[in-house]
Amino acid sequence: MNRTLYNVGWRYQLCHPWQTFLMILGIALGVAVMVAIDLANSAASRAFDLSTDAVAGRATHQVIGGPAGLDEAVYTQLRAAGVRDVAPVVTDYVTSPQLGDRPLQLLGVDPFAEAPFRSYLAGATAGAQGSSYGGAAPGTPVGLDQLVAFLTRPGALLISEGLAAEYGLAVGDAVSLDASGRASTGVIVGLLRPEDGLTRRALDGMILADIASAQEALGMVGRLSHVDVILPDVRSDDFSRLATKTTEVVTTNLPSDAQLVPVGARSGALEQMTTAFRTNLTALSLLALVVGMFLIYNSMTFSVVQRRPLFGTLRCLGVTRAEIGRLVLGEAVAVGAIGSLLGLGLGVLLGQGAVQAVTQTINDLYFVVTVRGIAIPPGSLIKGMVLGVAATVASAALPAWEAASAPPRLALSRSGLEDKARRVTPFITALGAGGIALGGGLLAIPTRSLVISFAGIFFLTIGCALLAPISTLILARGALPLMGRAFGVLGRLAPRSVTAALSRTAVAVAALMVAVSVTVGVGLMVGSFRTTVVSWLGQTLWGDVYVSAPQFTATRSAAPLDPRALDLLVATPGIARWDVLRSTDVGSPDGPIGVTAVSDRDFTAPRVFVSTDGSREQVAGAVKAGAVLASEPLANRLGLPAHGAAVTLTTDRGEHTFPVAGIYRDYSNSQGTVMMGLDLYRQYWDDDAVTAALVVLAPGVETDRFVRDLQGRLAGIQGLLVRPNRALRDEALAVFDRAFAITGALQVLAAIVAFIGVLSALLSLQLERAREFGVLRAVGLTVRQFRGLVLLETGLMGLTAGLLALPTGLALALVLIFIINARSFGWTMQLYADPAVFLQALALAVVAALLAGVYPAIRMGRMAAAEALRGE
Amino acid sequence: MIGKHLRWVIPLLAIVGASAWFFWPKAPAPLRASLVAAAAPADVAGFARAEGPREIVFPADRGPHDDYQTEWWYYTGNLTAETGEHFGYQLTFFRRALVPPDDRAARDSAWGADQVYMAHFALTDVSGGRHYSFERLARGAAGVAGAQADPYRVWLEDWEVAEIGATADVSGIEASAGLSGQAGQPAKASSPVAASDGAPWRPRPARLRAAAFDPNLNLNLSLDLTLSDFKPPVLQGDRGYSRKGPEPGNASYYVSRTRIASEGTVAVGDKVFQVSGLSWMDQEWSTSALGPEQVGWDWFSIQLDDETELMAFQLRRADGSVDAFSSGTLIAADGTTRQLGPGDFTLTPTATWRSPRTGGDYPAAWVLAVPAADLRLEITPWLADQEMQVSYTYWEGAVRVTGTSAGQPVVGNGYVELTGYAGSMQGQF
Repeated sequence: MNRTLYNVGWRYQLCHPWQTFLMILGIALGVAVMVAIDLANSAASRAFDLSTDAVAGRATHQVIGGPAGLDEAVYTQLRAAGVRDVAPVVTDYVTSPQLGDRPLQLLGVDPFAEAPFRSYLAGATAGAQGSSYGGAAPGTPVGLDQLVAFLTRPGALLISEGLAAEYGLAVGDAVSLDASGRASTGVIVGLLRPEDGLTRRALDGMILADIASAQEALGMVGRLSHVDVILPDVRSDDFSRLATKTTEVVTTNLPSDAQLVPVGARSGALEQMTTAFRTNLTALSLLALVVGMFLIYNSMTFSVVQRRPLFGTLRCLGVTRAEIGRLVLGEAVAVGAIGSLLGLGLGVLLGQGAVQAVTQTINDLYFVVTVRGIAIPPGSLIKGMVLGVAATVASAALPAWEAASAPPRLALSRSGLEDKARRVTPFITALGAGGIALGGGLLAIPTRSLVISFAGIFFLTIGCALLAPISTLILARGALPLMGRAFGVLGRLAPRSVTAALSRTAVAVAALMVAVSVTVGVGLMVGSFRTTVVSWLGQTLWGDVYVSAPQFTATRSAAPLDPRALDLLVATPGIARWDVLRSTDVGSPDGPIGVTAVSDRDFTAPRVFVSTDGSREQVAGAVKAGAVLASEPLANRLGLPAHGAAVTLTTDRGEHTFPVAGIYRDYSNSQGTVMMGLDLYRQYWDDDAVTAALVVLAPGVETDRFVRDLQGRLAGIQGLLVRPNRALRDEALAVFDRAFAITGALQVLAAIVAFIGVLSALLSLQLERAREFGVLRAVGLTVRQFRGLVLLETGLMGLTAGLLALPTGLALALVLIFIINARSFGWTMQLYADPAVFLQALALAVVAALLAGVYPAIRMGRMAAAEALRGE
Repeated sequence: MIGKHLRWVIPLLAIVGASAWFFWPKAPAPLRASLVAAAAPADVAGFARAEGPREIVFPADRGPHDDYQTEWWYYTGNLTAETGEHFGYQLTFFRRALVPPDDRAARDSAWGADQVYMAHFALTDVSGGRHYSFERLARGAAGVAGAQADPYRVWLEDWEVAEIGATADVSGIEASAGLSGQAGQPAKASSPVAASDGAPWRPRPARLRAAAFDPNLNLNLSLDLTLSDFKPPVLQGDRGYSRKGPEPGNASYYVSRTRIASEGTVAVGDKVFQVSGLSWMDQEWSTSALGPEQVGWDWFSIQLDDETELMAFQLRRADGSVDAFSSGTLIAADGTTRQLGPGDFTLTPTATWRSPRTGGDYPAAWVLAVPAADLRLEITPWLADQEMQVSYTYWEGAVRVTGTSAGQPVVGNGYVELTGYAGSMQGQF
């Protein structure tokens, strides 16, 4: 019996190749979307890492010493203790008459230790490692001889091609160096060609040397400026192990004041942004699961529902319910496995294709190669396979049980099912509302557990998706009179037939809706991340042009600007606005505290706050009235409360307590900083000195030209650093934009899946309704009218999905930004809700659905009425 | 064990390729740039060359010979755990001079480097079926890497072999440790090597330590051994002068310590094994030893349970023939040595193994016969895949040996090095 029964199932599939194909396609797509989005996520995450590396460097920590630097033995001891990701650095500013007499950073490194600190090692050593990238990657290996000179020749220097061209220098030329009065001679042994804009700008102000030459030129023999350290992720076990080991070496072996400190840019905002970015991508993967499940559910239930007449007949012939159940489940396992396997392959292709597509416009070869070459996470393949089969079986079980338990006669009629579908709509709606409530409830739990938050997102999305039937019903009914007026009979027919096949259309709408809401969620999330990056860069790289005296000691020095330099600066054409700031250490009952006093009246505007007393406006007002801002490290050090804090400083008028209006993020000084208005500072301290000047350029003034002009004017007055912050900000943002571009792959994927998913759903639906169309054609519908009907139906479904996706997508973005990020990282991003994202999503839903309707419309239109009716 | 040197032009290239990725501290950003123009190379002539026998004096000659271009301190060994597992290990320190002695500048900075050190560490876990290999490079300066004669120490970061102050009591350790067979006793032979004061010189015990992390397997590996010599050092070739070609300069100075009792621990992940066995150590220094026609070599070090050892190497020429400067040494239980010329031994491969990574076809079993000594040995790798995955490819692995010596059955272990099978070594010189 069983054998015969399985033959029945098998033959049925053979006789209906289209339906079988669509069923397997549905499963494969469902799995593919999970795998592809995981892949795109890994690529986006890697791209973001590359961007943060490019902007902030890879060192997470530094070992620093006192004002005189660090005993070089620290480094050897760290290495001997097995701490491997460390690199010694000797650096300070030098000037050279052959190099424009402006301050240049002499950077002394050990090339043997640099490997982990180079961001793009794979590319740089590609040739030597025989990597598959071949010589395509930048940093093409050069000869040993060039390193020999760099290592063995005292005073050997490398400079950028740009710098060499600017000052007419070539390999072999000698340059004299002046390091704070210490004269030495260097010789150029090689030229460097920068691979990107950030490097070009950095190299414009830099000379590279072997660490031995740097020690000799800077008079730092026996000492290091610092040791760069990469420690693993803070949450990993290795972190505490290595941090402890490093600290032990640093503190126990040496009598010096060496200490391990986090690198500012790393431990601050950027690191948290990276973590938040990853978490958000994980949440989006979760949504891909939901999309995948709906696609599988859609195709499986369809395949079973379609065989209701067959099951009815079998039941009439005496086959038991249990046997039908086994038949369907056995088939589901087989089909699920085949479909899932195909889905894995398809997913990898789709994911790689999407990443390839979005990286096409990026001309940084290394970046593109690294992002494209991302490995497929094995966990994602396993997850795809398991969930694919499980979802297939689960999706088949319900309709199989339904078909098997229906009285055989009823099972033969389709209307019975649709009646049932409509009857359960209120129940499903209630379930959806329940899902939303449960999701909301989970999210309301004030926990840092990502599992709970993700479960909340999951239920919230499912809940929204379960509202698809009721939304479809309501929208179809609401559209009925409108469409009737616009399109006549067809306009009335379309919404009715959508509701008549609710069990099918609602699932298609739900899948489309979740896919589109993913694009909305990604769009909003990326928009918000970008806004946050912009404000972070604005805070880090203050002003358009930044003028200061060079300083390299770990503690901030307060070398003031020469007043003559300030006069010259102000007279330089092209300035729209300028401000000055004074940085110095002042006394307090808690020891010395760094103070930064700013002449800018709006200096609170670019800060990223941890906590504030009141709104930004109130903070700005309070600061004008004599309040100060405290940096987060200072707040931690002094144990300042989030609200109503105050800090006492020793002023020239005696001790004074300043109210703290807000605590802002800043790790540039690990001891902490108080920021205040310059007026307030000068009210309490008799200090007219200025440490740095910030220039905002007039519109249309080119930063680089202005910087060169200013350097020319300042030459000979005081060795001042002129930093083109606006250009640096632009370069850094461009670097981040490449990472954000990768998230475009997610949107592409969601769109593709939405389109194919809805296409297969519609094809199934139209196949099923062949007879209905036969009747319609038989009663006189023209081919044109018929095609119009199909497109009206699919357009309506697309619109429903789109309208439902907008609030869902917005809710997703809000949850990600305001709940998950804020809770897990204490870092609230600014929400940037671009209306274009919503319009695009709506258009995507409608266009995808309409396009998906084209093929069925043509196909069904071609079918002769008699053929369609032949079954009668 | 010829010319293991010079091949590291490639890793050096890797570093230079990287030359310009430097870390920028205060406004930190890794710089991405490539070196496009550079100063002309220094003249490499001017290194000392091994042109004839010279007196080798200990302990001074254990230290580095910086005037020669290359040098290595090569430790290999077979170890058996108390629980029965077999391990092979290799820890080698290579030194390479960047410029000839006359071109070296006096530097104030301790970081000024005219020597570069490279080290290879490999562990063969026979029961685990895996071979692990690691490579490190560092400048021979500022205490990061280096070698010194007295007290003896050679190191690169935390990989190190260093003399332990006192002479350890090795009488309790069997000379055939790790092998089946009769118990041995510390060598009774008088040393052919004189200490600087003229008295026979015996090395003091040393401690060998190496640890590495395999990021792909997320696995920590470590080795910690105490090494005590059973026999005095062996001067290979003509009083330590080992010729590799017809030109007098194509040669090296080559000293071996062929039977070193080794005891300590091997850790693979969380598993720590108490091990004991025998190590072999080679020290060799030279300047450009190999001729242009020599494409690779097969090198063998074998320790038998009758307390004898055998070293043999065979140079392979581009046309597939065996070079006339192949040679070997038999070391008797009493430490006396017998030189073997190319006609004195035969080496017949009996199996091959193809590397799945490089496609290189390696011989994977041999019969080594020394007819004059009535010695016939069958040599089989403990593990087929002991290919070193470092910046250049070679096979270096633990082998097991069975056979007969003067009609008596013998067993033993050894190490084999095979180069030039995965692409010619020619490009590496």
